[in-house]
Amino acid sequence: MHPLPAYRVAEALEQDLGNPSQPESIMSFQTVMELDEQEAFPEQELTWLYNWHLQDYYVPINCGGKFTNFEEFLAIVRVLNRRDQTTGIAFTTLFWSFLCWMAGTEAQKEKLSKFIIEEQGALCLGYSEREHGSDLVHGDVTATKVPGGYLLNGEKWPINRATISGISFVLARHGTAGEAKGLSLFMVDKRELADSAYYHLPKILTHGIRGSDMSGIGFNNCFVSDSMLIGKEGDGLELGLKGFQITRTFCAAFSQGAADTALRTTLNFALKRVVYNKTVFDLPQPRKTLVDAFLDILICDCETIGAARGFSVVPEQFSVWAAVVKYFVTTQLETMVNNVYPVLGSRFYLREEHDFGIFQKVLRDNSIISMFDGSTVVNLHALILQFRVLTKARRRRKPQTMEAIQHRLSTIFCLEQPAPNFEPEKLDLFGRGADDCLQGLEIALWQLQELSENSEINLEMLTKLINLGNLILEELNAHDEFITNSKFEFGHDQSPELFEVAKKYCNLHAAASCLHMWIYNRQLLGEFFAQGEWLVLSIHRLLRTMRPMSWGIADVYTENVAQELLRLHQADQLFSIAPIQLGRSSNTTKNNNNSTTENAYV
Amino acid sequence: MSNQIIMQNWLINQLAEQLSLNPLNINITEPLTRYGLDSIDAVTMVGDIEDVLDEELPSTLFWDYPTVEKSAQFLADNYDLSAIANSLSSSPAEAKPEAKVPASSGKWGGLFGRKNF
Repeated sequence: MHPLPAYRVAEALEQDLGNPSQPESIMSFQTVMELDEQEAFPEQELTWLYNWHLQDYYVPINCGGKFTNFEEFLAIVRVLNRRDQTTGIAFTTLFWSFLCWMAGTEAQKEKLSKFIIEEQGALCLGYSEREHGSDLVHGDVTATKVPGGYLLNGEKWPINRATISGISFVLARHGTAGEAKGLSLFMVDKRELADSAYYHLPKILTHGIRGSDMSGIGFNNCFVSDSMLIGKEGDGLELGLKGFQITRTFCAAFSQGAADTALRTTLNFALKRVVYNKTVFDLPQPRKTLVDAFLDILICDCETIGAARGFSVVPEQFSVWAAVVKYFVTTQLETMVNNVYPVLGSRFYLREEHDFGIFQKVLRDNSIISMFDGSTVVNLHALILQFRVLTKARRRRKPQTMEAIQHRLSTIFCLEQPAPNFEPEKLDLFGRGADDCLQGLEIALWQLQELSENSEINLEMLTKLINLGNLILEELNAHDEFITNSKFEFGHDQSPELFEVAKKYCNLHAAASCLHMWIYNRQLLGEFFAQGEWLVLSIHRLLRTMRPMSWGIADVYTENVAQELLRLHQADQLFSIAPIQLGRSSNTTKNNNNSTTENAYV
Repeated sequence: MSNQIIMQNWLINQLAEQLSLNPLNINITEPLTRYGLDSIDAVTMVGDIEDVLDEELPSTLFWDYPTVEKSAQFLADNYDLSAIANSLSSSPAEAKPEAKVPASSGKWGGLFGRKNF
């Protein structure tokens, strides 16, 4: 059993799904490849997950489900997506239910909870439109007030699960185009609509997640009752943007699942393939490439797990944190997948052979993650608009501010204590410049100094860490200096340079997350984690993207990380700071749906 | 000058400065979006007023009161705007000197007083 309760449901799910390399397992690589070739919707796989009652973990405990906080949720979505992003994303459209958990009435919550848990219902999110993309306030789908409800008109496109879902969350405009309060959000239950009042648009052919129901939905004087309105008339944009803070953060778990499979299948090859009388893994360059990929996963773990727990502690800071995670984790892991394919050689491109050709599928599927729910540019732009206030807030910190930050950082990063329950009503559109992770960097540096009196810690490693930590601070101070001396502008004509500055800010954020994660969990996450060599390499790796630095920092550290990578691979454990035991044996078959379902109720 | 007029003038100055507009061209009854201030910008600008007033305001202030006239009225009715009146006497373009974080590493302990943690 996993030592941390937050990871036990994911581990139970893994055990019941079995080893994906074995064709008889649920969502085996062979099966998901066949489905992908046929561009077929993974219906049986989704039914299996519903029978396992995975949907319960998308519904908060106070609404009848089992969701408490996002740390557990993140791990579940991650193991689901290491098998198949088509299924993982199709199932996880359920996370749009947070719009209702956040702002719905008791009756709406009760209805949605029953729909998801008992009726095995699925959801979709109708925001995008063919002519307007992410420019939500100019949407053409309208809601006209009539007695007892509204009439919807117009089309939403492209929408994942628009056709194969029972409830659609639809943003529609009742006011003037461009008005922030002109949008309302509806929880549209298709079962209550007249058949002639809505229609589905055809499946769209896509590059990856090819089995997805990527389609659209149209409304034709479609009457929706007042009971389908979420919040008040005009609340649509506010709810929509707050909902994005949640879903953008959790897109990271889709990427994390894909990254594990990309690295694992490459390692499967590198450990067996012999060239020049050595395995590929024994050659220095591929070995370093795979170590760097593993470091990328560990870095993204620190950023994402920190954010997942942060949601329960500082939900009001997620106008910053969600944007950082959505940009940083998805692009870092996309790059990681691209970095490892030369190790796999031509097999990266094959739709069969090595591990059923899963690598090329991961490569295609995963490339959508950094784009949907707010693209890289959208997230960097959101940060750019907040830089001025972030810099001011950091400058204004006082000793009591730091005390409060330190208290929150320990609740966020110390994995030993379960994260508090998530309270979605505390989300805020604007974080007012608060970013505990980077604004508490000096606290981490001070804690590192204190550790130099601890005889259990390797002083050489700690010295490197302190030096690197000071470089993070130097870069952060330089960032603030730059922002102070730049002219702030609203709008979308931001200078291209600022987008690079925003990327750098995200890198610094990730580096600080790694430090906090190590400081609070040194004695909790095993010997490899405690030794901190991975941390030195990780921070060095992040800093090297923004300043001239030596190419390497300690060969022996690299070798020790390689050994840990091998150990996790051989033990069938997730590549992670909190490794989950992966499904190993073939004791579960497709006909054995509920073998250990009780495990899901730990 | 009434509080509402003070607030209107301050908002016009802010918009003119940050959107590079001539203050004379800003009409207080036009929606702010007309001047290129989109919905997210409008949320961010709430932070500027909070800075001066030292009060927490609703993030959706400019969504709920989408013109200079309406938002100034709301603020004048609900908040003490004396700080805004004072800030109007200095040019909004003028950067105010603030305490700077030392650029070199290792000085953080002195800044926050490590004993206080």
